[in-house]
Formats: sequence, structure tokens, C-alpha cells
Amino acid sequence: MPQLALTEAVFYILLSLQKPLHGYGIIQNVEELSHGRVKLAAGTLYGALNSLVEKGWIDALPENPESRKKEYVITSSGLNALKDELARLSELVDNGKRLLEGN
Amino acid sequence: MRRVIHKLFFIWQLEKEQAWINEMARHGYSLEHAGRLSFVFEETDPGKYTYKSLFLKGSSYSEANLKFFRFLEEMGIKVVCTINYPGTCWVYTRGLTSDFPDGIEIYSDIDSRINNLKVTIGYMIFVIMLTLLSGLFNLWIALAPGRAFLPVNFTCAMLCLALSVAAIIATVRFVIQLSKLKKERKIHE
Repeated sequence: MPQLALTEAVFYILLSLQKPLHGYGIIQNVEELSHGRVKLAAGTLYGALNSLVEKGWIDALPENPESRKKEYVITSSGLNALKDELARLSELVDNGKRLLEGN
Repeated sequence: MRRVIHKLFFIWQLEKEQAWINEMARHGYSLEHAGRLSFVFEETDPGKYTYKSLFLKGSSYSEANLKFFRFLEEMGIKVVCTINYPGTCWVYTRGLTSDFPDGIEIYSDIDSRINNLKVTIGYMIFVIMLTLLSGLFNLWIALAPGRAFLPVNFTCAMLCLALSVAAIIATVRFVIQLSKLKKERKIHE
């Protein structure tokens, strides 16, 4: 079965987690990457993080006792999913450009 | 200074209650505790906090919800208090207005909003069944043939049936919202 499209939230979360980040860091990073367009709400992020951990696309790192904030990082299968999504998006963009802007 | 206000909001008046709590916060009274009929406010700087109420599946003491509350706290959203109902809980949260100038949003995607509405609708169906059955049972007792008319049961029946009708109207509104979101979901994420 071909890989289903990722949601925008998941795509940006995976993109952000190429370095370890905690929840608030992810929200800030996604907002920065999207120039303020995508603002992840806490509940949405929480649900997405749990699903991604369950799927094995990200890992929850051992908790830092000082900050008590859980950090996450992308796994190799998460990185593959991100690359597949990028290829799918490229295809969309290429086809869109080809048909809308002429050959 | 502490101020206690007794006020009744029905389970389907979450948004109305939230608007009132935020109005109180704008006037310098921040919610510290809420019961089923009472609200405890502390005097603070006007507009210091912004509040968001939400309805969650399961008890507020469940491991899943406790983990979620901890995550919210990491995001600067504090759980002020919770009220448990059978199978669900009503959660009052707040954040600094300086951190959330446009108000707190818990869910920014359509799927989460759909799931949250489903929890609310599920609970509303439970409320409708409970009030409807209580109403009909009391009506049957009050008007049973061969027995004297029982005004207490009749009044109780009317109250339960009125609540049931109000709950049905509110549920229809939630179902319409859900249906709009589902249609939206077919086009947008």
C-alpha cells in the first residue's frame, strides 16, 4: 500500500525533530519554519507525539530531571517517512506547476 | 481577596461558562476552584490569565489524563481544577494572557476537534437517556391509574423532561458542528 499523506502537523513535527526538542520547542520551531502560519495547539501536538512514538517514527528521550520536560527525536523510520512525504509533495508541486503554468 | 460565586451551568454550556470565567478574569478575578455549583475566584491583575475549559474522556485521575495535564503544564497551560462525571471529566485550564494573547486553543487540527466533539456528544446522549428515563418514570408514578395524583413526582418529571429537551437541543447543535467538521475534513486537514 502506498504511504498515505502526512498531516501538515506531523510533517512539521518530524522536520523539527532532527534535533532533540521538547514540546514547547517543537511548537516554536514549527511556527518559525512556517513563518507563523502553522500554530500547533498543545492537545494536537500531544496526540501527534503519542501516535508517532507508537509508530516508532520518533523516540522519547530519557527525562532530564532538572527541566522535567520530555524531549523527542526522529528515528530512522521517521526520517524515511519524511523523505517519502517530501517526494510525494514534490510530485504534487511539479504536476501543479506543469499543468497550471504550462510545460 | 477571595470571592465565591454560586452559579449553575449545564454540561452543554461549556462555552458560555468559559466566556463568563474569562470575563471575570478580565475584571481581575481569576478562577482558583470550581465545583458543580460554585466558583472560587482570587483577586489578581485584570486580564492576567486567560481560561480554557475542556471536556475529556475518562477520569481526571486516569494515567492518560494526568500525563496530558503534565504536558499542558510544560506548554504553560495550568490545570486549575477538574470535575469528574461518569466516564468523563470537565477540566478548567489557564495560561498567562501574555503567553496566549489570542486565547488558549487546545486543538488546532480538525481530527482532534472531531474526536473531542464525539466525547461531548457521547456524554450528552448519556445525559439525555438519564433525564428522559427519570422523567418518564416519575410521570408514570405521578399519573398511574388507580392511585392518587402525586404532585412531587409530577414536578420532578416535568423538570427532568425539560432538562432532557434542553439537552437534546444542545446535542443537535453539537451534531451539526460535527457534521460540518467532517465535511471540512474531506477537503482540508
